[in-house]
Amino acid sequence: MRMRARSGLLASYALVVLVLVTLNFFLPRALPGRPIETLSDPRSQTYVGDATTRTALQRYYGLDRPLLEQYGRYMADLSAGDLGTSIRRHAPVARVLGERIGWTLLLVGTAVALGTALGMIAGVRSGWRRGRRSDRRLLALLLAFDNLPSYFLASAFAYVFAVRLGWFPLYGARTPFSESYAPARAIADVAHHLALPAAVLALQLVTFQYLVMRASMVGELGSDHLLLGRAKGMSEHVLKYRYAARNALLPAVTVATLHIPLALTAAIFVETVFAYPGIGRLLFESVGDRDYPLMQGCFLVLSLLVVSANLLADLLYRRLDPRTAA
Amino acid sequence: MAALLEVADLRVRFDGDVEALRGVSFSLQRGQTLAIVGESGAGKSTLAHCLAAIAPPQAAGSVRLLGRELLGAGEDELRPLRWEKVAIALQGVPLNPVATVGAQVAEPLRERRRMDRTRSWARAHELAAEVLLDTDLLERYPHELSGGERRRATLAMVLALDPELVVLDEPTAGLDPATRGELTGQIGELAAARGFGLVLVSHDLPAAAQLAAHCIVLYAGAAIEAGATRSILTTPAHPYTAALVGAYPLMSTTKDLHPIRGAPPDPRAIPAGCAFWPRCTQAEAICSEQRPPLAPARERLVACHFGGLKRLLAADGLHKSFRRAGRTVRALDGVSLHVAHGESVGVVGPSGSGKTTLARILAGQLEPDAGELHLDGPPAQARRPARALRARVQLVMQDPWDALSPRMRVAEIVREPLDVAGGWDERRAAAAVAEVLEAVALAPSGPFLDARVHELSGGQLQRVALARALIARPALLVADEPTSMLDASEQARLLVVLRERQIEMGLALVLVSHDLALVRKVTDRIVVLDAGRVVEEGSTPHVSGAPRSDTGRRLARAAPTFDTPAG
Repeated sequence: MRMRARSGLLASYALVVLVLVTLNFFLPRALPGRPIETLSDPRSQTYVGDATTRTALQRYYGLDRPLLEQYGRYMADLSAGDLGTSIRRHAPVARVLGERIGWTLLLVGTAVALGTALGMIAGVRSGWRRGRRSDRRLLALLLAFDNLPSYFLASAFAYVFAVRLGWFPLYGARTPFSESYAPARAIADVAHHLALPAAVLALQLVTFQYLVMRASMVGELGSDHLLLGRAKGMSEHVLKYRYAARNALLPAVTVATLHIPLALTAAIFVETVFAYPGIGRLLFESVGDRDYPLMQGCFLVLSLLVVSANLLADLLYRRLDPRTAA
Repeated sequence: MAALLEVADLRVRFDGDVEALRGVSFSLQRGQTLAIVGESGAGKSTLAHCLAAIAPPQAAGSVRLLGRELLGAGEDELRPLRWEKVAIALQGVPLNPVATVGAQVAEPLRERRRMDRTRSWARAHELAAEVLLDTDLLERYPHELSGGERRRATLAMVLALDPELVVLDEPTAGLDPATRGELTGQIGELAAARGFGLVLVSHDLPAAAQLAAHCIVLYAGAAIEAGATRSILTTPAHPYTAALVGAYPLMSTTKDLHPIRGAPPDPRAIPAGCAFWPRCTQAEAICSEQRPPLAPARERLVACHFGGLKRLLAADGLHKSFRRAGRTVRALDGVSLHVAHGESVGVVGPSGSGKTTLARILAGQLEPDAGELHLDGPPAQARRPARALRARVQLVMQDPWDALSPRMRVAEIVREPLDVAGGWDERRAAAAVAEVLEAVALAPSGPFLDARVHELSGGQLQRVALARALIARPALLVADEPTSMLDASEQARLLVVLRERQIEMGLALVLVSHDLALVRKVTDRIVVLDAGRVVEEGSTPHVSGAPRSDTGRRLARAAPTFDTPAG
């Protein structure tokens, strides 16, 4: 029963991935502008003067074939693990993505973990003391933060903490030429560079998580099983965490996994502002270049991350709520 | 030693104007059992919470558990008492949805008694076995259990710390009858075996009768009647209790169910005076002005200005003889009959038993040779039937063609009692006629008002007679074989009309008939007459189900049935 439910879940996710891959192929082609146009535009840095060379290039990238044939080829290559070659960077897309994805995972992972943890803790405390002064203050503060756009917050943080105070580096993921650092120093260096972008990203997520956790907690306050726990003489600590927070966690977990797509979107801005070498910045650049294979690669990676986050949410939910497991 | 529970003037007022409890006081000794019954919204659950040391902060007054005051005490004072001294099964048996049943049964043992996992789990198994819960279910989550199993699990949890007081809030609501019966029996056995004090909060009257020796009837947040459960449920004193019991179907019930008139009061606008007065059929001016205290009456406590249901009619030692062809026939030979407000009494007996004579004496149409007749207050001299008596008691006869004048039209027949009484102008009288005709399901206007007796069917005519009897708003209706000349459908319709009038007006009824099958559907009590004497008297289910007198048995045998005689 349980096994069948899980395989059904995985099958539905496989279908979602197939749809995503297809959209991923067609959507960039629906954008105005073509990759070869930048080669034929005299103002472009990548201008190629010779018409024969341009045609050869077009044939090389398969752009002269009918759309459906391109699609078939794309799917065949994809199933073989071949994401194509970046038009702008003259390198296999898979390798370009491979170099960048680690940084994005590190940044988004840190931010989501931090934002979720802070949001949940604040939400539990605020909800438990609903309407008291500490609750009202926290609510006002986080709502204020939430209304700042991510690029503004990123720029403000960069200005205050990197430029004025100089506590953190302004850009990049590590100090240039730091490959020779000893492991401990290298880790400290990476963390130092990570701090600002991760903090900005986490702050983007914390309020939503906090609001959901707080509302969910407030909903639990009036529940009968909490009253039962009180009648059973359980301590405030047990009531707050084992009864109220444990049940309030269910909707909050859904929100936490919804954060991942949100964080990936915000990461495009944050990585750009802090010149962080992740997928977000790569995507930003590839869109500018109309680099189809690279764009497709970036989108594919991002969509797969989102889908995996949802799958994770589903699986986690089943563990947390025995009622959905049946 | 302090009482197990002492509640004094307990009041709970939510958000300023919602009055959940309005001064409840009672006490309970160790090992005693108490049921708190009442309709939904009477404040039962709020009361249960107050007893279980989880009172809402708005609670005022005093609740003392083993001598310790619960209201106003801090969480740190209450926590050691909770579950250890008093444990509650909340309404709807909520359980934590994300923890296994076993973990929740064991939780108090682990948290409060500091038992380790193995020992608390073993104890949870023992508790489950004690309440006959399949111990395999302890590994399951609450949603995987049936309603009955959840209740057993909750019961096991309640017993975990061996409390001295157990509060069960609707422990059997929503269960099928078989499970309900089983569970009720089991709760009784546990209470007897462990000797805990039990407070059962329920609208399930049979469960209250089975489990609790004492009973409090709660209405609009206040006790309206309190005393021994058995006597409260079998002979209710307060009009509300009587109505509540009358609305409850039992296996032994033969009478048609009577819903309580009106609706329970909105807790934001509880009527002044007695909270029940707008629904009460015997209310007087004082009822809406002064709140009646819970005072001793009829071997219990009753909160009613009249000590409960009024006694409407008391006939004692009635004698009546007729001279017929030079011989004296004793029609009544010392008959006594008492009728309470709103009560239905059946008078049955064979032909010539004196039924009709009794009916006519009760209605003031015939004077008894000896005996006294009291009607709702000071005694009326039996030899001079007062005019007032005649207006308060109305008679409906067997034969409407005989009783109603063929020369008169419907409207005239119905309004005649008003003309006799005097003081009714044309408009008011016409309105009263229309109202009462509508009440007996006849056309209140149009050509029907001008119809004459011979134009109507027997059923219509008998309802016209009923309307004529009801227009003066009598307190007691004496009906002598009112349906014997009607077909079954017309008879059923007349009885429905009669039942509605009883609910709305609190009309008392003396139904004279030889048809036991009919009488048992309509009455609370039956008096069996034979040869001018009362040979048997008792509650309708008893007399109709298992008659003790020869006459009663004869009538029961003669009662209509579709079964063909065996053999």
